[in-house]
Amino acid sequence: MATYTNNELITAYVSRQIRDDDLCFVGVGTNGRAFTLAVGIPLAAARLAQMGHAPGAAVYWGNLLEPDLSVIPEHFTQDAFTQWQAAACPPDTGVKCDMLARRKFDVSFNSAAQLDRYGNMNITAIGDYRKPKVRLVGSLAQPEHFAFVRRPILLMDLDARSFVEKVDFITSAGHLSGGNSRREAGLGEGGPSLVVTDKAIFDFAEDTREMRLKSLHRGVTKDEVLAAMSFVPLIPETIPETEPPTTEELAFIRNDIDPHRILLKV
Amino acid sequence: MKEKLTTLEKALSPIVSGSTVMIGGSLLRRQPNAAVRQLIRNKVRDLTVLSWAGTTAIDLLAAADAIRRWEGIYVGLFNYGLAPNFRRAVESGRIEVRDFSETAMVARLRAAAQGMPFLPIRTLFGSDLAQVNPEQIRTFDCPFTGEKLQAIAAAEPEFTIIHGYAGDKYGNVQWPVVRDTDDMDQPMAAGAKRLIVTVEKIVSHDEIKKQPSLTYIPGNWVEAIVEVPYGAHPAACDTMYDEDDAHMRDYLARSKTADGVKAYLGEFANALPDHAAYLEKCGGLAALSALDVKGRA
Repeated sequence: MATYTNNELITAYVSRQIRDDDLCFVGVGTNGRAFTLAVGIPLAAARLAQMGHAPGAAVYWGNLLEPDLSVIPEHFTQDAFTQWQAAACPPDTGVKCDMLARRKFDVSFNSAAQLDRYGNMNITAIGDYRKPKVRLVGSLAQPEHFAFVRRPILLMDLDARSFVEKVDFITSAGHLSGGNSRREAGLGEGGPSLVVTDKAIFDFAEDTREMRLKSLHRGVTKDEVLAAMSFVPLIPETIPETEPPTTEELAFIRNDIDPHRILLKV
Repeated sequence: MKEKLTTLEKALSPIVSGSTVMIGGSLLRRQPNAAVRQLIRNKVRDLTVLSWAGTTAIDLLAAADAIRRWEGIYVGLFNYGLAPNFRRAVESGRIEVRDFSETAMVARLRAAAQGMPFLPIRTLFGSDLAQVNPEQIRTFDCPFTGEKLQAIAAAEPEFTIIHGYAGDKYGNVQWPVVRDTDDMDQPMAAGAKRLIVTVEKIVSHDEIKKQPSLTYIPGNWVEAIVEVPYGAHPAACDTMYDEDDAHMRDYLARSKTADGVKAYLGEFANALPDHAAYLEKCGGLAALSALDVKGRA
């Protein structure tokens, strides 16, 4: 049995969700663990998909369309971004916004301070919006991702403060209050499709649109998962183990994609 | 052509307390920090500030108690985390926020550039961003299809301040062939009423004329242009210099308390007569050149 890290498991799992010719949005920001979740794992997973089953998969990163993922920058200071070679660099971010609104994106990678039972997420404010306990960053294009991207994938560590019954502020409308509520509000197809965490994978039930435990990572129990959430998700009778990475996937990640452990550092 | 080259002091003197000001740049790129330090020296208050992804410029203004309301897509310090002074001011209720998602803010900027009162989007159904802001985000029926759409009010600041790469004395500003384009500076300039531009360097009009397709801000749109080398410091100007990590860390450490950042502002803005003095305070051009990058252009 191959040994692997949690980040390698998640990277391999996420890469298998990327289909050939998918256009994937990857964010640019932050550092530490948040960087690994928002940037490191998505870039590694997209490259792994390109090297295997999805050679036509493409990434939109920052304002670069199809950056060369065979040479991912090793230092994330401004000049490394400026120098990264890509197929296209549209004149401003409005072009990316247009592509979002015209539903050109298949996959996005998202993380939030709060995520609720129906996949609504909050990156704006904890507590009261007008006098918040914690003011967060605002919204960026996170509402667009849930409104227009076909299969948004959330990447978050499981934590009772983040996985809440109801978010304090809906930055991005997920499945709202479940059932048909998303469509009734005026939104089209989409909304969060998968929630990938350090302990388990979740999806959303087809009818009620509630978050549902899909698989447990090797060695993790259902009780450990529930202890790290502030609500009880739907739980099927039998819960499979998250499919582990193959020897070939691990070799690609370790030797080709992230040999210096920059993307999957923490 | 009319000469528009002037000083920061003169260019920014029309901006008084209570003004509405759009601030250019995105994340750690081209924050017009030299201009912001001048606004702080001028002791303007109660500004309504609009931005795209604002970082140092917005946080400095918040630290100086200069902002009454902010409207935009993001305020933070990118890989340095949340914006401590902006955060403190919003949490205490001193700054009112109006959050817009990216397509919403793009609609606001393009509406202004087209002279339209609004443009429609279909992003914010079900989002609290629309719920809390009926003044600037309103649902209406498409006159052609009957589909529900959201009208987003145009961004109509009295002043727009953008930091650019190089320009001439007539206000023509050019971008390099290869640069980081993840921003909305050009649409902001296109919809500006009174546009004040700072640039890293003033070049001759002959230089500009050789490659007019690189002029993203025509002098025709510009009210004043000012030369401020390292004008985005401690943030970056892509293709020219990187962010100043040591200065950013010092700023963050001193921003842990309101008193701490007041002392910082005293040292780096209020006590200094102008941008030249700021550069000296930061070690002078020789020290700052350690931040320079080669670029590819």
